[in-house]
Amino acid sequence: MMEVVKPVVLSTEGLVAGYERDLPIVRGVDFAVRADELVVVLGPNGAGKSTFVKAIAGLVPVHSGTMALDGADITAVPAHEKIRHGLAFVPQTENIFATLSINDNLLLAADILPKERRAGRIAALYDMFPDLSAHSSRRAGQLSGGQRQMLAVARALIVEPSVLILDEPSAGLSPKIVAEVFARLKEINAQGVTIILVEQNVKAALAIADRAVILVEGEIRHEGTAEGLADDPLVAELYLGVRHDRAEVSP
Amino acid sequence: MNVELISYGAFFLTMALTYAIICLGLNVQWGQTGLFNVGIAGFVAIGAYVSALLTTPDTAGRIGGFGLPIVVGWIGGAAITSIVSFLIGALTIRLRADYLAIATFGVAVVVQLCALNLEALTGGPFGIGFIPRPFAELAATQLLFSLANFAVVALLVVALYFVLERLARSPWGRVLRAIREDEPAALALGKSAVGFRLQAFAIGGGIMGLAGAVQAHFIGFIAPDNYVPMLTFQVWAMLIVGGSGNNRGAILGAVLVWAIWAGSAGAVASIFPPGEQARAAALQIVMIGVALCTILLLRPRGILGEQSVVSRHLGKLRRGFAAPAPTEEKTENAANT
Amino acid sequence: MNPQALMDGLIAGSMIGLGAIGVTLTYSILRFANFAHGEFVAWGAYFALAVAGALGALFSGLLTPIGPFSFGWALPIAALIAIVLNGGLALLVDALLFGRLRDRRSSIIIMVMASFGAALTLRSLLEFTFTSKPAYFTTALQIAQPLGGGIRATPDQLLSLGVAAVLVIAVHLLLTRTSIGRSMRAVSENVQLAGVVGIEVRKVIRIVWLLGAALACVAGISAGLLVQIRPQMGLDLLLPLFAAAILGGIGSVPGAMLAGLIVGLSEAFAVQLIGAEWRAAIAFIILVLVLLLRPQGLFGRPE
Repeated sequence: MMEVVKPVVLSTEGLVAGYERDLPIVRGVDFAVRADELVVVLGPNGAGKSTFVKAIAGLVPVHSGTMALDGADITAVPAHEKIRHGLAFVPQTENIFATLSINDNLLLAADILPKERRAGRIAALYDMFPDLSAHSSRRAGQLSGGQRQMLAVARALIVEPSVLILDEPSAGLSPKIVAEVFARLKEINAQGVTIILVEQNVKAALAIADRAVILVEGEIRHEGTAEGLADDPLVAELYLGVRHDRAEVSP
Repeated sequence: MNVELISYGAFFLTMALTYAIICLGLNVQWGQTGLFNVGIAGFVAIGAYVSALLTTPDTAGRIGGFGLPIVVGWIGGAAITSIVSFLIGALTIRLRADYLAIATFGVAVVVQLCALNLEALTGGPFGIGFIPRPFAELAATQLLFSLANFAVVALLVVALYFVLERLARSPWGRVLRAIREDEPAALALGKSAVGFRLQAFAIGGGIMGLAGAVQAHFIGFIAPDNYVPMLTFQVWAMLIVGGSGNNRGAILGAVLVWAIWAGSAGAVASIFPPGEQARAAALQIVMIGVALCTILLLRPRGILGEQSVVSRHLGKLRRGFAAPAPTEEKTENAANT
Repeated sequence: MNPQALMDGLIAGSMIGLGAIGVTLTYSILRFANFAHGEFVAWGAYFALAVAGALGALFSGLLTPIGPFSFGWALPIAALIAIVLNGGLALLVDALLFGRLRDRRSSIIIMVMASFGAALTLRSLLEFTFTSKPAYFTTALQIAQPLGGGIRATPDQLLSLGVAAVLVIAVHLLLTRTSIGRSMRAVSENVQLAGVVGIEVRKVIRIVWLLGAALACVAGISAGLLVQIRPQMGLDLLLPLFAAAILGGIGSVPGAMLAGLIVGLSEAFAVQLIGAEWRAAIAFIILVLVLLLRPQGLFGRPE
């Protein structure tokens, strides 16, 4: 099969970021994602995975380095403008407005679209997530953990972003629900949304990812195809702290 | 040096040091515990009125006037104010941080109202006069009288200073600091944050009450007008200037701000014509208000600095505007990775 | 019991309610108790007084009373201008003080302290400019008309009540039905997520200040029309405003209005029982009772 090399959608160069000026957590990351890829960012606790994606989303101060989206420099773009550039972020916790209705959550996200597109996009998302449309006037805080994740994803997809970044979507969910959420993410990716996923749940993540990067102490130490990494016992033991088990990771 | 000047100096310093006592009380509440009191005037008034009631001679048309010794009045004033502080603290300390501020503001309003309206107890708008003054027998010799008064208040301030310093360094003070710096960790060690805060608030309130009592006996006359929000404001300015969390700063700030206040009052009085004095006084408050806000903006840790333990607390963000622009800014957000 | 107390309470309560909506909105979105909010009420009244005075001096025809009311067109026009000026004042204070403190991530309590300093400054500026002498929009006396049931009200009083009712409904609809209202609720729940979703938090903050200042201005003008204008009026209202905002539940607009009416009515009836000199204590008693029994307020959620 001929492999077509797709263009780079999102990239960082020498990215240094962290809450404190003298204490960078992300220390010089060069990273690139191509269109339609599903890339997972792995690494031990405290490696800076979450800070890395938050820096891309504009939630953590960038000390130096640059980031570009679809060829445009977005390093200095404030957090609330990133979504307008096509970069959608789903935080790990508190990623929906619990006191607002499901419909208000979606309307809020649709507000940045031109008026004539809003209703259509919301309807499209309800088609995609029938669970949500069934209780659209209910307060989002009443949703189950899996449904909350789906609402957060739906909210992020309203604007048809070119890149969707998720910070540990599996956190706090039962294995069965994780499988459902990840299956949905794979579907969304198959429909042409580039996805970057930060995960602790290594096996489930590698099972759906095309490619993975491993972050250790704020630097990328290893990267490769998902299959390659899943097969690499050294990586598994060194960085991920999991016993390699081929039978479980193969898709 | 002439006698009048020394006499005036003693008078000035005595007045300033009574403010220093209030400031030390506020420092226990705010500087060491982070509890915000917007009703200082009310707490000072309680101490003043209680002590006046206990020590003045029996008066026709007014309840009280028990003619007790001055020391009893001071202790009584401190004790009652401490109890009121405890009750207000118990009501609000476990709630949001600013509910305590609102409640203390309410205390000041209600105390003012009681002072004005409970005429049978407080003398109403005219207040209570003939409050016994320490060393009244020396009153004939102005200089000696002023110096004796100054000596008493100065001794009190020094004694309080040492007690509070010891307290801050005691296990109790350390727990307080631990709670303020890292409440979850302190709680994990089994310390009741609410209990310790409550104790600190009651102790601070008691000191303010004591200051009110001392002031009342030094001036010899109290009225509701002495206990307006302006007083609260002045004491805050003193502590902020001196540097909160620092007992020496609290005393120094009190003397400094009192000097600026007295000086600017004199300047304003001489510049404005007699008919415009009320306006001029308003302008003086504007200037002090602007100064306080400027200090909060430029030197939130006080002009004279503060002990390092407080700095974290002052700059700390408690859940709120955590969405920074991607610039290099310092925050103390917990890194979440 | 004097049925007239019902009318007095409703009128005072509607002014408290308008102010309390501003307090509750700034509290839920900026996350601190703004002790300077009462001063916006006073400044709003003085802005209207100054503009109405100037309009009256320029065009004396504007002073001819409109229909049954005690004031001419000068006042409604001045009210609109005062709302704009008061909004400008709120934005100015935010730009000079609160915004800077926010940018450096000051703690809540530093914000409260700054608002306390701002309150004294603003109040004393009024006292310096206008002296502490009470002022009035008009000196015309109005006859209270009987409304039945032993209740009387002047046309001015009924108009104030009507304006307050319309404003509360308008603000409620703004918050629940419009995109800016959704943004405000979103920021009040989670500032960081609001940014991620694409809401410009600074813009929302500006709108909250403008809205709070506008409502405070109307409350101040009502108070000036029905009672009098004094530099201390904001300070006197502060405790009732806080009591109403907390009783209603922080963040709840209908709650703030309902609680404002409760505070106003309680004051009016208590005045009948224990005398007008104790009016100011009522708000404190309500505050203590709420904090004791239901700290989250009528419409608030427990923390």
